[in-house]
Amino acid sequence: MRLRIAIAAVCAIGLGIAVYLTYVHYAHTTPVCTTGGCEKVQKSRYAELGGVPVALLGLVMYVVLLGTTAVRGVAAAFAAVLVALVGVAFSGYLLWAQLGPIGAICQWCLGNDLTVCVVAALCVTRMLTEPAAR
Amino acid sequence: MPRNRLLLLAAAAGVAAVVVVVLVVALGTGGGSSSPTTTAASTTKGPEAVSTFAGVPQHGDTLGKPSAPATLTVFEDPQCPYCRQWNIDTLPTVVDRYVRTGRLKLEYRGIVVIGVNSVAGLRAIYGAAPQNKLWNMAEALYERQGEENSGWITLPVIRDAAREVGADPAKVVAAADSKAVTEALNENARAMKAEGVNSTPTFVVQRQLGTPFQLQIGGLEPDQFTPSLDAALQ
Repeated sequence: MRLRIAIAAVCAIGLGIAVYLTYVHYAHTTPVCTTGGCEKVQKSRYAELGGVPVALLGLVMYVVLLGTTAVRGVAAAFAAVLVALVGVAFSGYLLWAQLGPIGAICQWCLGNDLTVCVVAALCVTRMLTEPAAR
Repeated sequence: MPRNRLLLLAAAAGVAAVVVVVLVVALGTGGGSSSPTTTAASTTKGPEAVSTFAGVPQHGDTLGKPSAPATLTVFEDPQCPYCRQWNIDTLPTVVDRYVRTGRLKLEYRGIVVIGVNSVAGLRAIYGAAPQNKLWNMAEALYERQGEENSGWITLPVIRDAAREVGADPAKVVAAADSKAVTEALNENARAMKAEGVNSTPTFVVQRQLGTPFQLQIGGLEPDQFTPSLDAALQ
């Protein structure tokens, strides 16, 4: 139970970041930035996947992860770990894009990277410790 | 720790890796359109790059009748995918609806936002200004836009774009390195600061005797952009 609450709490942070970046994308505004590269990253071609803003994909991911915290059992834990690991892998790809082709770092993306890694670690722990169905 | 849980975990990691690789390869940014919402499918538009502006007067960086009662200044970076989207999807509508009818003239303000390769593109664009082909050249380069900071703005690309728009490539290349172009780019950088521009594309509207103001747009597509412009011109 505590683990699921912890996952939900960290997901809420990630959801906040994703909502903000989705708003920035659709409102064509400039994100608040201290690293100087947020706008460049947000306006790069890596900010969309198949026409969908990656921020929106992140938002959906966190909503799904929050949903799994409301359900007990190994199946929900497996679904959560699967989604979280997809998030980690995709965040890794976007981090590579920032360090490589884009040549700029976005603080919001780094914040999301950290959040999704923590969520994934918690989901893995949950997966390994979730009580089996009786 | 149950062994089957570890196996499930390993399977999840494998599936996640495969999902991301498939997504990135199938839908990712391998080199096609710079903006997935942009409708242009080909890398070159050919004669269309000329016809968008056919019959519309051009003087240096200004497109349209000098006597037009309002000016739309457009701050752009040739490497910016959103600038490409606006130029390819919406500029033809703006030209037909506002510029050809004499309601508006456009001023190009090329600025560097994306990276150093943008400078080469801007120099080429301003290099076409003496031949009154600046707007054509900008559009032709957007049609060829590659990955940001990949170095896609090369001399062969510039020459090819110049040829396509009916400009003399040798003159464009020569003018691109001129002092006049350097001064124009420096002036644009100053205007960028003065207008508080920090992203591209940014649109500044000035009606006759009015104070310039940044246009707040609903989006970059024609049906999103033109209502904002209509309101600003009223």
